[in-house]
Amino acid sequence: MSSKNNVISKTISLIFLVLMGIIWITPLVWGLLTSFKSRQELLTGGFNLLPINWVLDNYTHLLINNRSTPLLRWFFNSMVISVSHTFLVVIIVSLSAFAYSRLRFKGRDSLFVFLLATMMFPQIVNLIPLYVIVDRLGWVNTPFAMIFPGLAGVFNIFLVRQFMNNIPIQYDESARIDGASDFKIYTSVILPLVRPVLLVVALFSFTASWNDFLWPTIVVNDVDRMPITPGLQLLQGMFVSQPGLLMAGAIVAIIPTFFLYLFAQQYFLESMSLSVGVKG
Amino acid sequence: METNIKTLYEESSSKKILIKSSPYLFLLPHLIFFLIFFLIPSVFGIYISFTDWNLFGTPNFVGLQNYQTILMNSESTFNTQFYNGLTNTFIFVLFTVPFCIIVPLLLASALNAKPKLHKFFQSLFYLPTLLAISAVTLIWSIIFSPSHGPINNMFDLNVLWTSSQPFAWVVLVVVTVWWTIGGNMIIYQAGLNGISRDYYEAADIDGATTIQKFFKITLPSLRGQLLYTVVITTIAQFNVYGQPLMLTAGGPNNSTRVLLMYIQQNAFGSGQSIAGIASAMAVMLGLCIMVISAIQFIFLTRNDRK
Repeated sequence: MSSKNNVISKTISLIFLVLMGIIWITPLVWGLLTSFKSRQELLTGGFNLLPINWVLDNYTHLLINNRSTPLLRWFFNSMVISVSHTFLVVIIVSLSAFAYSRLRFKGRDSLFVFLLATMMFPQIVNLIPLYVIVDRLGWVNTPFAMIFPGLAGVFNIFLVRQFMNNIPIQYDESARIDGASDFKIYTSVILPLVRPVLLVVALFSFTASWNDFLWPTIVVNDVDRMPITPGLQLLQGMFVSQPGLLMAGAIVAIIPTFFLYLFAQQYFLESMSLSVGVKG
Repeated sequence: METNIKTLYEESSSKKILIKSSPYLFLLPHLIFFLIFFLIPSVFGIYISFTDWNLFGTPNFVGLQNYQTILMNSESTFNTQFYNGLTNTFIFVLFTVPFCIIVPLLLASALNAKPKLHKFFQSLFYLPTLLAISAVTLIWSIIFSPSHGPINNMFDLNVLWTSSQPFAWVVLVVVTVWWTIGGNMIIYQAGLNGISRDYYEAADIDGATTIQKFFKITLPSLRGQLLYTVVITTIAQFNVYGQPLMLTAGGPNNSTRVLLMYIQQNAFGSGQSIAGIASAMAVMLGLCIMVISAIQFIFLTRNDRK
């Protein structure tokens, strides 16, 4: 009886998932196909799923010799910013998490709780003064404006600290008996063991940095210095009546995060079990 | 003998200092960034709201004037902007948050039955959360294009999706749900995986229907996840900016222009920066978010206090 219910629920679920799946995948497929349609076809060719003629014009127009909306340059800018940011995040977060998890010092737990509480503070209020500070530092229109401010974040420290708390203290202690300093314990004992959560932190940090939209539009106004995500807004303004070009731009912009996801899916999907364990 | 004891003491006290100082070396990098790029701006931002600053020169303290203007001076454009923006933001939150909870809950439940290809579907529904908002809005604006988009063409409609109401809201909600529900779905999945089969089997023996099992077993077991996602999702949707900016340009007739768009426009738009007003608007928005989160938290945990 319950196995029959099982089959029914599996079937209904599958039907539901297929219907939703079609809705979910259509925009991506449609966008991809449109990026290969010629301007001619999009103007006069009527409504077709597949391109009548597959063309690379949209991509070549945007990527080669493009001064007004330099997509390739934007892509490069984003890469520099996101890789640097991710690299720094991993170092700073692991150092801090190690201190809050492993080291004993006065005010450790109060400081940590304070940091967590500040996460509740709405970020919008920071936007304007953050711009002022970045401007005074001379970072406007430079990658630094997008690499450094995000390093103030606390959530990743929380995540890594939780993970570290689950590492038995015996590992530390046996290293300490051998005369290891705190830093040695950090590099030789703890770091290798927290690689999985650091990988999750790296993946999410890269993605967040790559996809950042509002902040870069505030701190960058030089077209050549823009990252690709805010650049797409410029693209929309310039080519509002040319969907082929817009789609090519969008596709190029999502390539890195898409492939990151393709190869590291499990880390994204299982990340929640790292933080959900502390739901309480 | 004495010298030895003294050297030993000195050695151990310098080691003590070393041991005592090293936590701060681990903490300092983050704390420096935290101070400069979070703490100071937070305080500074509140301060700016009490000035008439234009981001150049020195700020000029004006007390509660900005708040008076945006909250009470009905002749000021900033007042109109504030209330229009706040109302639209509220409408957006009201429309999107329920879908951002219910849809991922249904998806997670369907995935939990573990039908064929469930891993593929899970990946598919999660993918959009990793895509940039500007790319997402570009793609969806083609989908909803009145002349060339699949929606009007396949269903033989003539709707002006992004330039008329209530369709503009429909577009915003649909795109937001598509883009964001992956995160909540994964959270619910993790929660559902933790519910023991025994409960369902006991319910089956008692002859419970699927609906009854859902409301009496599944939902109560997901209380923690539901609380967390409701609060987090509400906060996230209050910060909406990219969708109305690029899909509807705040239109038609500013009917989808959210508060964050006015804040950006006043602080960083063309012409002189009206940072004082913009900051006051930001502080008000921030207060709304905090108050509503608190209310949600208190309301949703009320049963825990009985």
